[in-house]
Amino acid sequence: MALLDIQHVSFTYPGQTRPALQDVCFSVHAGEMLAVCGATGSGKSTLLRLLKRELAPLGEKTGRILMNGVPQEDVPEAEAAYQVGYVMQRPEQQIVTDKVWHELAFGLENMALPQPVIARRVAEMAAYFGMEDWYDKPVSSLSGGQKQLLNLAAVMVMQPSLLILDEPTAQLDPIAAAEFIATVRKLNQDTGLTVIITEHRLEEVIPLCDRLLVLEQGRVLACDEPRQVIAKLHDRPELLCAMPAAARLYHALGADGVCPLSVREGRMLVENCRGRGRGLPEEECTPGTPALECKEVFFRYDRHGPDVLQGLNLTVHEGEICCVLGGNGSGKTTMLTVAAGLNKPCGGAVKVFGKKIKDYKNQSLYRECLTLLPQDVQTVFLCNTVEEELADAQAGVDMLPFDLRPLMHQHPYDLSGGEQQLVALAKVLATKPRLLLLDEPTKGVDAAAKGKLIGILKELKARGLTIVIVTHDVEFAALCADRCAMFFRGSVVSTGAPRTFFSQNSFYTTAVSRMTRGWFRNAVTVEDAAALCRQGGAE
Amino acid sequence: MRGFADYNPIAAAVYFLAVTGIAMFCMDPVILALSLAGALVTFALLCGQGGRAHWYTLGLFLVMALINPLVSHNGVTVLFVMNHNPVTLEALLYGVAAAAMVVAVLYWFRCFSCIMTSDKLLYIFGGLSPRLALILSMTLRYVPLFGQQAKKVKQAQTALGLYKEDNLIDSFRGGMRVFSVMVTWALENGIITADSMTARGYGLGKRSRFRLFRWRAGDVLLLTGSLLLAGLALMGVHARAFTWYPAIAAAPMDALAIAGYGAYGVLTLLPAIIHAKEAIKWHCLISSM
Amino acid sequence: MIVIKNSRVRQMLRWVIPLLAIPALVALGAAVLPEKQHLLVSLGVAVLAVVLFLTGFEQKKTGARRMVIVSVMVALCIVGRMIPLFKPVTALTIIIAMYLGGEAGFLTGALAAVLSNFYFGQGPWTPFQMLAWGLIGLMAGYLAPLLKKSRALLLIFGVLAGAAYSMVMDVWTVLWYDGGFNPALYLTAVAAALPHTAVYALSNFAFLWFLARPFGEKLERVRVKYGV
Repeated sequence: MALLDIQHVSFTYPGQTRPALQDVCFSVHAGEMLAVCGATGSGKSTLLRLLKRELAPLGEKTGRILMNGVPQEDVPEAEAAYQVGYVMQRPEQQIVTDKVWHELAFGLENMALPQPVIARRVAEMAAYFGMEDWYDKPVSSLSGGQKQLLNLAAVMVMQPSLLILDEPTAQLDPIAAAEFIATVRKLNQDTGLTVIITEHRLEEVIPLCDRLLVLEQGRVLACDEPRQVIAKLHDRPELLCAMPAAARLYHALGADGVCPLSVREGRMLVENCRGRGRGLPEEECTPGTPALECKEVFFRYDRHGPDVLQGLNLTVHEGEICCVLGGNGSGKTTMLTVAAGLNKPCGGAVKVFGKKIKDYKNQSLYRECLTLLPQDVQTVFLCNTVEEELADAQAGVDMLPFDLRPLMHQHPYDLSGGEQQLVALAKVLATKPRLLLLDEPTKGVDAAAKGKLIGILKELKARGLTIVIVTHDVEFAALCADRCAMFFRGSVVSTGAPRTFFSQNSFYTTAVSRMTRGWFRNAVTVEDAAALCRQGGAE
Repeated sequence: MRGFADYNPIAAAVYFLAVTGIAMFCMDPVILALSLAGALVTFALLCGQGGRAHWYTLGLFLVMALINPLVSHNGVTVLFVMNHNPVTLEALLYGVAAAAMVVAVLYWFRCFSCIMTSDKLLYIFGGLSPRLALILSMTLRYVPLFGQQAKKVKQAQTALGLYKEDNLIDSFRGGMRVFSVMVTWALENGIITADSMTARGYGLGKRSRFRLFRWRAGDVLLLTGSLLLAGLALMGVHARAFTWYPAIAAAPMDALAIAGYGAYGVLTLLPAIIHAKEAIKWHCLISSM
Repeated sequence: MIVIKNSRVRQMLRWVIPLLAIPALVALGAAVLPEKQHLLVSLGVAVLAVVLFLTGFEQKKTGARRMVIVSVMVALCIVGRMIPLFKPVTALTIIIAMYLGGEAGFLTGALAAVLSNFYFGQGPWTPFQMLAWGLIGLMAGYLAPLLKKSRALLLIFGVLAGAAYSMVMDVWTVLWYDGGFNPALYLTAVAAALPHTAVYALSNFAFLWFLARPFGEKLERVRVKYGV
């Protein structure tokens, strides 16, 4: 018998005519790991929330959801709460209490378990997750990845039989995301836990999951073994763009046979192509007038603290998109705040368009000159609708290289991650900047919206803007940058045009670059590799 | 090694209540002197260096000691006349005593704050009202989060050019702006926290409480010891019956009064005694190894 | 704690305790005990009143969202207190009481006092602050329909609450210092605190002027959208 049986479920939000879910049928067996994917607005979150009764949205629902053969409505309250664990996107906001130990105990306190049982279970969980060192710590001292692991542990301590994860790694950096997914996989393998997961970034998840369910506009498009599902997606570019690079290359080549999912399998696909040793020409960056110059910049937050920036040298030329890549805590964000004049450097000089920052008096730096869009775009929102928001910044909708009109009457917080990014960008652009600084613009943004964002940034560049982007996202950088810079321990260690830059890196590089290493030179994007393969033709 | 900070929070709270309460309500010069000295010793022991806080308290002490003779004209021993008002010796001394009391109490509260971590606070409040303890814990979680977020918002809004000019009115408006952004952010994201609570079964029924601290023999000893010593001190103060106005007077020092003062002296030094005992024990352990 | 089942009696008690019982207790204490023990009486009453309210809160079933909103508000008060020249506690307490009722107001005010003092210095004044801010919240809750209707009234209430808060705290200062209530000392204290009081009343005014409406809209949205 299936653990979860969804029978002809349809759902409509109040005041809406189009149903969010339509005739959804599938079942999940115990011990299975199921990934759910679909474009923004396809009903992923609605579906997951319906599976967790306490979080089910208000609206009209038809059809039946059976848990272990029992209709969801008839499951006792306590069992429904404890049997299904649910972890959401934002790690910060899901934590309830101030200390790690208390967060672990929170669910167990709700179950009204006696002290010795709580003590045992909490200890067990802390040991399993390797949390002994942070057990006493305040949660505010944890990193984003640790917070999300804590959220997972705080759910697992209640011993659920089904774990639902709603884009759990969307706000994490790649390393923390991989660690999170590995932990989920370990739980699934070690305990036979059933997992349902949605993700923006399917690269990590798809090779691990047993089945993939694709939603399109509220309907189930496919639900099967991932290779089979992805092989059938060739006419759906909006879904395909979220898939692993190997699968995209497979489709781009129109190859047949088994669809590759990992880099290792992708290499086999490339190996079968003729024309080894072929390559793309190296790119050179053409130097122009500098828009932003950092010379020997030092910065620290505390007088006795460590140097966050250590002799940073970086020059960004007018009219280019420069992506700064680097690990967590390497000081990338700090560099942006120093470049934007929000933090004063302790040594060295920062010049914007040839003029020192301190010579911009009376905040004139932020008028028609430079602007910064922070990582957390919600820090920009103030009003109740997008319309008021744009009016607040005196932003004109017509001048923008993208269309916000359909969103005008919505609340900024009701938008998807990608839409929020665009509204915030519109606000920032209202100051008519010549230099635009972006901090992690792809965080919490799905693949389709990411593609759109790349187009917008290129359009802005064409209009004469200089753009500096700080990001973890190598695939994104490979697609939109004119120049990439590697940031490490407070300074830039290497720069180069993306093709050259990524071909020289072996680990910190795109999946395609790793797939084609040794066979093709300078191939970093799926398009590059596909073009080279086509030149040779398949054997 | 079990220092004073490791004792059961309820026992520690009762200790502070006793030692501070007696200092506040018994305007007896000996008690006040003992209390001030004990508070300073305990402060040095539990909180380490105070730095600038000491100078602030010294200033406060001087101001308060001088105000009383200027506004209060009780007392029989007139020192001199100022603006047709007599300044009396009793009022002067009372001022010094009151200032000493305020400063001693301030130091006791500082000691209390030094050892009362949020875990301990939660433990105490949890006994009173578990739900209140939860709100407390949630709030303590939000405070650093909001602090960090407020900084981010301020930077974001500055970079948007919304602080305009470098003047006071604009920066006040800027402050309001930041606060307003914070409110939206906090309320909207709070819903996620609430969902996360519901998802983990909050509100289904009675909750239990996971306690990080337990009662050990030493805690019970501290609790009963504090109460007994405080009781003895109160009896001593009562026997002494010290009065400031109209003239300074007190009953003669009898055995009870001496015992009371002694008890209070021991009470104020309890943390130091515990500390010394542990240090000696540790020393013996090391040398016997 | 004893739970009072009859809702009408409970409603009545809610009015009677703050408005009659507390002043009566203070008066009784003043009459019966010698002058120098006023401090003891007032401290006892403050602690008692606060405890009574907070345990009352324990008896009610409070949903997760309400819990979150109250703790968000308390945290905002504390963070706001850390910004120089920014004293939002009274204003925030009034606003939350207007939209979520007097009890939430009392809770916010009282908790903001006790928790923010962990950052600003705990002292025997804490129970007084808790009571003073709590009562401001409670009053605002009772007057909510009026305050929502008229902005002028709200601003007046804010200024008065600010001034009253400051003056009540001066009573406490005098009591603590002198044990009994010395009018001359009280006048000195009030005079010394006058600039402080003025800043306080003014900042309440500014806060309510700028924030009451947008704040109300935000709370209202959360209330409507998520059904708090």
